[in-house]
Amino acid sequence: MQVTLKILRFDPAKDKKPRWETYQVEAEPTDRVLDLLHKVKWYQDGSLAFRRSCGHGICGSDAMLINGKNRLACKTLVKDLGSVITVEPIRGLPVEKDLIVDMEPFFAAYRAVKPYLINDEPPPQRERLQSPEERARFDQGTKCILCASCTTSCPVFWVNGTYIGPAAIVQAHRFIFDSRDRGKRERFKALGSGSGVWRCRTAYNCTEACPREIPVTQLIEEVKRAILFDSF
Amino acid sequence: MDPLKEPVPVMPTAHYAMGGIPTTLWGQVIKDEKNTVVPGLYAAGEAACVSLHGANRLGTNSLGDLVVFGRRAGIHAARFARDADYHELTEEHLGESRERIERIKNSTGKEKVAALRAELQQSMMDNASVFRTGELLQKQVEILKELMDRYKRISIDDKGDAYNTELVEALELGYLLEVSEALVHSALNRTESRGAHAREDYPERDDENWLKHTLAYKVEDGKVAFRYKPVVLGRFEPKARTY
Amino acid sequence: MAIKSKRYQEARLEASTNLELYWWVFMRVSGVVLVFLLIGHMWMNAVLVDLNSIDYDYVAKRLSQTTWKVYDWLILALALLHGGNGLRYVLDDWVRDPAKRFWTKVVIYSLLAFLFFLGSLSLFNYDYGVN
Ligand SMILES: Cc1cc2nc3c(=O)[nH]c(=O)nc-3n(C[C@H](O)[C@H](O)[C@H](O)COP(=O)(O)OP(=O)(O)OC[C@H]3O[C@@H](n4cnc5c(N)ncnc54)[C@H](O)[C@@H]3O)c2cc1C
Ligand code: HEM
Ligand code: SF4
Ligand code: FES
Repeated sequence: MQVTLKILRFDPAKDKKPRWETYQVEAEPTDRVLDLLHKVKWYQDGSLAFRRSCGHGICGSDAMLINGKNRLACKTLVKDLGSVITVEPIRGLPVEKDLIVDMEPFFAAYRAVKPYLINDEPPPQRERLQSPEERARFDQGTKCILCASCTTSCPVFWVNGTYIGPAAIVQAHRFIFDSRDRGKRERFKALGSGSGVWRCRTAYNCTEACPREIPVTQLIEEVKRAILFDSF
Repeated sequence: MDPLKEPVPVMPTAHYAMGGIPTTLWGQVIKDEKNTVVPGLYAAGEAACVSLHGANRLGTNSLGDLVVFGRRAGIHAARFARDADYHELTEEHLGESRERIERIKNSTGKEKVAALRAELQQSMMDNASVFRTGELLQKQVEILKELMDRYKRISIDDKGDAYNTELVEALELGYLLEVSEALVHSALNRTESRGAHAREDYPERDDENWLKHTLAYKVEDGKVAFRYKPVVLGRFEPKARTY
Repeated sequence: MAIKSKRYQEARLEASTNLELYWWVFMRVSGVVLVFLLIGHMWMNAVLVDLNSIDYDYVAKRLSQTTWKVYDWLILALALLHGGNGLRYVLDDWVRDPAKRFWTKVVIYSLLAFLFFLGSLSLFNYDYGVN
């Protein structure tokens, strides 16, 4: 089938503002949007810039705004979109070139919640054991691939970038609810501040955007509750 | 798609590359069979070859390798950096890299990176993948020569400096060609089957002649020289994998 | 507050108070309290008596009692605080320009303070001519 691909492009060396560019691409209904972008880049216009690596939904590098929704280009099929497809960079982060955005603010928020195991107690003789139930408690957060689909679909994040964002909270959740971790107080400092979880207005955009089907809003609410019960 | 009506498209992909940049147990790159270290150059991970995996890496062992030898390489590199003097970075050092980039940016040739890469991938899959024969490998040697020649005539649309992913792909194609060349020539040279290297014309393992590491050196396009390093056998004898 | 921190130490410095948590709790508690206060308010003014028969005398009589003064003042204070903080949320979420956001807040907060002052004044400073 013939697909009309509209891409919002921006070249920092030439453009003052992003501009729409339209391409006609021959595609199979089972092609992914990533395949279409490759067809353009490899055979029509080599200057098109976008990130991708694994090609099968595990590295999280190709989140884009496709037909108005944040999705991974490598997991979105043409037949689910129709013959006119628009692709824009994810919102709320500075655009570097075409579909590539500066992820640094996103990763700064990620680092701020200390996304690693904190436990200063002397290590036991062998592993720190955990029951299957304790492991299941934080399972959902472990599926996150840091694609930023959630954070960049959040209206609160768009406005002035002062919100730590759903992805960082999901990552914090993964450790706060880990029975081996002792660092929740340190994380609560970043999460409880004016830029933390209390900015969440439960718009549910994040949950809809997550390609890993993580119930993001629910995890955010669980973190809110954890801070609440820790403070009173 | 509906698997009841249409066949499911299935294709093998590369899972791991055995071999790589030879290193010591501390991640220092070595350049010959006498284990001569290249000072200040380190390699770790899949790109490196500490000679942990033999001719066929077993499942899960890559990440073990990464964690253990990545740490060791890091520790050693930090120690090295503390004592080493900085060298002046002159035009002489930068020249070659700069020239590589400028050559690609300014070229007006007709060859397309994506088309060449697709040909490289397809021919490597056909002639140098799981089951190999001398005939097919020899054919691939010739194909690589031709591809390397055409690679000199590639050109790109994007002449910019910001996020020039087209330039990166073009540079990477050059490296892919070089790695393919090392692989194909070594595979043709090794007249036995061992681990993941399966020659249909030499189906047996030949410890008498081939219980040794191959070091491949590029002489010029299409010409690869070999040196050999003995295998350090520890507790385990090489054995056929019978399961 | 903006996320500026690139390091954990900076993040720790940036994160300071529990203020936002208290506001979050307040919104929920005051919301629930307001439900009952307003039900009571409507019960007084629309169910017990016919809405159309409410006149100055009826209101004046009610407001001459301290209990009702405090009751109405609670509605006034909670509604203004709850509504005001709710508006602050809305402004923080939707007004992008920091300068505009600041001045909108100045105007809104002044208006709220004025309403609160006026309301309190009329509740407590008159005896409504009833003894
Ligand atoms: C599908 C699949 C499943 C696997 N499953 C397992 C498993 O279950 N267990 C196991 O042990 N192993 C597994 N492996 C193998 C293992 O995952 C890899 O060997 C390992 O991840 C390699 O890690 P690395 O850090 O060495 O290299 P990589 O993870 O490949 O990292 C290389 C990095 O270098 C960057 N890079 C490349 N070029 C440049 C450049 N010019 N400048 C700057 N940066 C550059 C790349 O962007 C990349 O980030 C699997 C591999 C695959 C493909
Ligand atoms: C009937 C009783 C009420 C209840 C149960 C209630 C409950 C709440 C709660 C829980 C919130 C917080 C929402 C959040 O954090 O995302 C809220 C927000 C808000 N409330 Fe109320 N409220 C009530 C009455 C009022 C009244 C009387 C006003 C106006 C004076 C008001 C104005 C607001 C505003 C403007 C917001 C912010 C909206 C937003 O965040 O998008 N509420 N309310
Ligand atoms: S929570 Fe989901 S949408 Fe958000 S970064 Fe992780 S994988 Fe992406
Ligand atoms: S390319 Fe890795 S997630 Fe899409």
